[in-house]
Amino acid sequence: MSRNAGSDVKAAYLFIAPAVIGFLVFVGYPLIRSFYLALTKYNGLTDPIFVGLGNFRRLFSTDPAFWPSLRATGYLVLLYVPLSLVLGLALAMFLNQRFAGVRVVRTLAYLPVVLPAVATITLWKFMLDPQVGLLNTILDRIGLPTSLWLQSPKMAMPSVVLVMLWGVGGTMIIFLAALQAVPTELYEAAKVDGAGPWAVFFRITLPVISPIMLLQVILQTTAALQTFNQPKILTGGGPGFSTNVLMLGIYNNGFPTLGKIPQLGYASAQVWVLFIIIIAVIALTAKFSSLWTYSDNTPD
Amino acid sequence: MTALACAGLLAATGCSGSDSGGSSDGPVTVTVMTWESAETNAAIKKALADFKDDNVTVQLLDTPSGQYGDKLASLTQAKKLPDLFWCGNDTEQQYTSQGLLVDWADKIQNGDGDFKADKFVPSAMENWKTADGQMGGLPSLMNTYGVWYNADAFTAAGLPLPKAGWTWDEMYAAAAKLANKNGAKYGLIADQLTGPDGPFTMSMYSVSAGGAPFTDNVNHPTKAEADDKYKEGVEKLTAAIKNGSVAPPGYDAANVQSLFAAGKIPMTFGGQWLAAGFQTDKPKIKYGFAPFPQVQTPTTLYDSVGICTPQYTKDQDATFKVLQYLNTKVWDAVLPASPVAPPAYTPAQTSYFDALTKAQQTTVVDTVKADLAAEKTVGVRFTTQWAQQVGDLTTANYQPILSGKKPITDLPAYVDKINGLIKQGS
Amino acid sequence: MTTLPTEAPPVTAADHAVSPAKKKPRVVGTTAWYVVALFICAVMIVPLLWMITIGLKSRTAVFDIPPRLLPHEFQWSNFVKGPQAINFPRLFLNSMVITALSVLGGVLTAMMAGYALARLRFPGRKTWFYLFVGSMLLPGVVGLIPLFQLYKSIGWYDTWLPLIVPAFLGGNPLFIFLARQYFLAIPYSIDEAAKIDGAGHLRIFVSVMLPLTRPAWLTMAILAFQASWNDYLNPLVYLYSSGKWPLSVGMASFISPFAGKTPDWSYYMATNLLYMLPPLIIFFAAQRYFIQGLGALGSTNQK
Repeated sequence: MSRNAGSDVKAAYLFIAPAVIGFLVFVGYPLIRSFYLALTKYNGLTDPIFVGLGNFRRLFSTDPAFWPSLRATGYLVLLYVPLSLVLGLALAMFLNQRFAGVRVVRTLAYLPVVLPAVATITLWKFMLDPQVGLLNTILDRIGLPTSLWLQSPKMAMPSVVLVMLWGVGGTMIIFLAALQAVPTELYEAAKVDGAGPWAVFFRITLPVISPIMLLQVILQTTAALQTFNQPKILTGGGPGFSTNVLMLGIYNNGFPTLGKIPQLGYASAQVWVLFIIIIAVIALTAKFSSLWTYSDNTPD
Repeated sequence: MTALACAGLLAATGCSGSDSGGSSDGPVTVTVMTWESAETNAAIKKALADFKDDNVTVQLLDTPSGQYGDKLASLTQAKKLPDLFWCGNDTEQQYTSQGLLVDWADKIQNGDGDFKADKFVPSAMENWKTADGQMGGLPSLMNTYGVWYNADAFTAAGLPLPKAGWTWDEMYAAAAKLANKNGAKYGLIADQLTGPDGPFTMSMYSVSAGGAPFTDNVNHPTKAEADDKYKEGVEKLTAAIKNGSVAPPGYDAANVQSLFAAGKIPMTFGGQWLAAGFQTDKPKIKYGFAPFPQVQTPTTLYDSVGICTPQYTKDQDATFKVLQYLNTKVWDAVLPASPVAPPAYTPAQTSYFDALTKAQQTTVVDTVKADLAAEKTVGVRFTTQWAQQVGDLTTANYQPILSGKKPITDLPAYVDKINGLIKQGS
Repeated sequence: MTTLPTEAPPVTAADHAVSPAKKKPRVVGTTAWYVVALFICAVMIVPLLWMITIGLKSRTAVFDIPPRLLPHEFQWSNFVKGPQAINFPRLFLNSMVITALSVLGGVLTAMMAGYALARLRFPGRKTWFYLFVGSMLLPGVVGLIPLFQLYKSIGWYDTWLPLIVPAFLGGNPLFIFLARQYFLAIPYSIDEAAKIDGAGHLRIFVSVMLPLTRPAWLTMAILAFQASWNDYLNPLVYLYSSGKWPLSVGMASFISPFAGKTPDWSYYMATNLLYMLPPLIIFFAAQRYFIQGLGALGSTNQK
C-alpha cells in the first residue's frame, strides 16, 4: 500500500510538472512583474523609474480617458452578459428538442464561434457601415429605420454588443450540454404532477442547471470585462469614448500608434485596476451564489 | 574616414568602438523597412537592385502594410530595428531624444557633393532637428494636404470648381449644396478637422485670418492658444456639422478613398499621396485636388516623413550610403509609376512632377507646388514625448464642441489643459 | 363480449400520463417553430453568404450604394489572385505547423495534469487545482508586457517558440478543469484492474485513460485548434520575418489602409473563405464528440 502511495506521488508530480511550470512562468511571473511595473514610469527602452502610486493618481484624477473607459466597460457588461445568458439558454432550450433539422440548426448556431474573430469582426464592420453596409440596406428595403450604428455615439456600444452576440453559440453549447444532463426522471415526475411548462422551467430546469449558470455568469462577465477585439476592430474606441473599454485604454497606452513612445508602467497600472475589478466581481458573484444556486448534494 | 565620422558624431551619440560606423571587413547587409504598398515596395526593390557597391548589399524587408505601427513598436523594444526604416517626424523627434537613433546632423551639413542640407526643402530640415540640433533621420518625402473634389458633382450642381484662393465660406457653402445629393450623404469629409489632429488643422483658419496658430511650434511648443479668429473657425465648422454638410467627429474615414473614387463623396480633405492610389484605381469620376481654402493669406498644413537609423546599426557609413541612394536615385525610379509624394530632396522632385503631368493630374501638380511654396504653414500635430496624451484630451474636450455636445465656451478650458501638458513636459 | 362495469375503474398513473399531453398544445414542430428555426439559421449564416458575395465582387463593385446582393460578374479570379498576393501556401503551412504543435502540447499537458489532479493522491492536490482554475480569471493582458520582454531577453523573438511553448506548459486552465472532470467520472475499479495486470501509471494513462476520455480531448483539440489558427495578436507581436507568419497575420495585409492603398475587400473575403476552411472542416467532422465533451462542464459532478 505504502509503495503504491509513494509511486502515486512521484507520478503525480511528473504528470503535473508542465502545468506547474507554466503556472509559475505565465501566471506568477507576469503578476509580480506587472505589479512592479505598475508602480513605475517605463517606456520599454530605458530603465523603469519608480513613481509609487503616481500612475494610479493620474488614472483616477487627470486622465480624460479613464472614467469614460470605466463607463464604457460597465455599459458593455450590463448589456452583453444578461443578453448572452438569456439568449444562450433560450437557444439551448430551443435546440434541446427533437425536430427535423435540429442538428443542422445546432451546427449553424455554433458556426460563428469556429470562425476567425478578425475575419468575422471585420465582416460585421463592413455590414454595419451606414452607407455601403448590408444591414442598413435590408432595413431600408423593409421600411425600418436605419442607423449610423458604429458611428453614432448612442448606438456604437449596442452595435458592438450586437456583433458579440452573434457568437452566442458558444454560450448556447454549454447550456445545451447542461440541459442534456438533467435527469429525465425529474421531468417525468413533473408531468405526473401536472406541472405546466413555466413551472417546469423555474422549479426544475433552472435550479438543476444553476451551477452551470453560476459558471457561465462568472465566465461571461470576466470575458466581457476583458473585451478587446470587437471594440478595437469595429470602432477603435470611438465615437468619442463611447466604446473605449478598459482593454483598449491599456493597449493604446502600452502599444500606441506609430512611433509614439509607449507608457508601459501606466498601462500596467491600468491592467491592475482591471484585475482588481475582475476579482471583486467574481468574489461578489460567488458570495451571493448560494442564494440562487442549487447545491447538488441533496437527496432525491 | 572612420575616425572623422566617429569624431563628428561623438558628442551626440556616444560613439563606442565596435558598434559605430567602422569600415567593415566584409560585405555588409543594410536592411530597409518601408510602409509603402506592395506595388510601391516592388518598385523600390527594383530600384535598390541598381545600388552597386562591393561592400554593401541592400535588403528590403516585408511588413504587412498597415501594421507598420505595431511592427515598429515591437522591433523597437526588441532592439531589432532595421538599419533604415520609414518614420514620421514625431517618431524621429521622440526616438532621437531617447538616444535611440544615429545623429546625421553633421553628415548632412558637411556632406560631400550634392547631398547636403541646403538641397532639401528648408522647413523640412528645420522640423527634423531636435531642440539641440540633432537629426535622427533625414526627411525623404513631403506631405502636402488639400481638398480632393469630385469635379462632376460640382459641375452638376452649377458650382465653380475649387481652386487656389477660394475661401472657407465658399467651401462650406459648396458642402451644404452638395450634401444629400446623388448618393452622397455629406458634402465634405474633413477628417483632419474633426479627428484627433483637428485642433492643429484649425490653425490654418486662424493663421490665414491673421490670427495665431493653435501652438507656436509642434516640435518644441511653449504654449497653446485659441484666439478670436480661431474661435471663429471652430464656430463655422460646428455650424456646418450641425446642418449635416460636414461629417461629424466619429465618421469612419477608412473607406473614404474607395467611396470618393466611386463618386459618393463630393469633397474630402486629404494628402497628395492619394494621387498614386487613384492612378491605380482609375475612378470613374472627374476629380481634382485644390489647396486648402483661405481667409486672407494662403496657408497650408506641413508635414514630412523620413528615414531613420537606430543606434546599433552595424555600419553607419554603409547605411548612410544607402540612405543617400534612397533619397536621390530611388525616387527617380519609383515615383513615375507610383507618384506618392514630392521628395524633400529638391533635385529629385522633377521626376515626381513629370510623372503627375504625364498622368494628366495637373491640379495635383499645381496644388503641391503651391503648397511647397506657401508662405504660411502650420504643423500637423505635436511630436513631443507626451503627444500621446493630447489625443485623449482632444477626444474628451474638443470633439464634443464640434458635435455640439459642449458649448464653444468650453474651448478655453481645453486649451488650458493642453498648456498644462506643455508645462509638465518641458 | 363486453361486461358492463359495476364501478368506475381505478385511476392509474397511465391516465395521468396521457392527459397532460392532451392539455398541453404541441409547440415543437409547428410552423411557428420552424419559422423561428429558420430565423436563427438566417442570422447565423447570412453574414457568411455576404462574405462569399463580397469575395466574388470586383474591387469597385464592393462600394456600390446600395450594395447588390448578387455580384454583376462573378469574379472567381479573386479566389486565386487573393491567396497569391500573400503567398498563401507558405503561410498555410506555417499556420498548420504552429497550430498542430500547439494543439498537441495543450491537450497532452492538460490531460496529464487532469489525470494527476483527479486520480492520484499527493500533497497539494486541492491547492494546485484551485490555483489552476483561479488562473482562468487572470486577464491575459497581465502577461502581455512582461512576457514580451521575457521572450526578447532569451532570444525567442522572431521564432515560433513564444507561440508553441506555452501550450506545452499547461497553457489552458479550462482544459485542465475539463480533463479533471472527465477523469473524476471514471471508476477506480478500472485503475485497479490495470494495476493488477502490472501496469505503471504511464501505461494506465496512455492505454486505458486516454481512449476512455476521447470526447474530452477531442473537444480540447478542436478548441485548441481554433484558438491557435485564429490567433492574430501574438504572431504579429513576436514574428518579424514575413516568411514565418501564420495566415492570420498575412490576412491583415489586405485591409489596412496605409500610404495611399485602398483596402482590398474582395481579395480579403475571398482569401478569408479559404482561411476559414480548416477549422470548419474539423468542427464538422468532430461535432458529435464536441457536444459530448462539453457535457463534462454541464454535469453535476462535485467540483
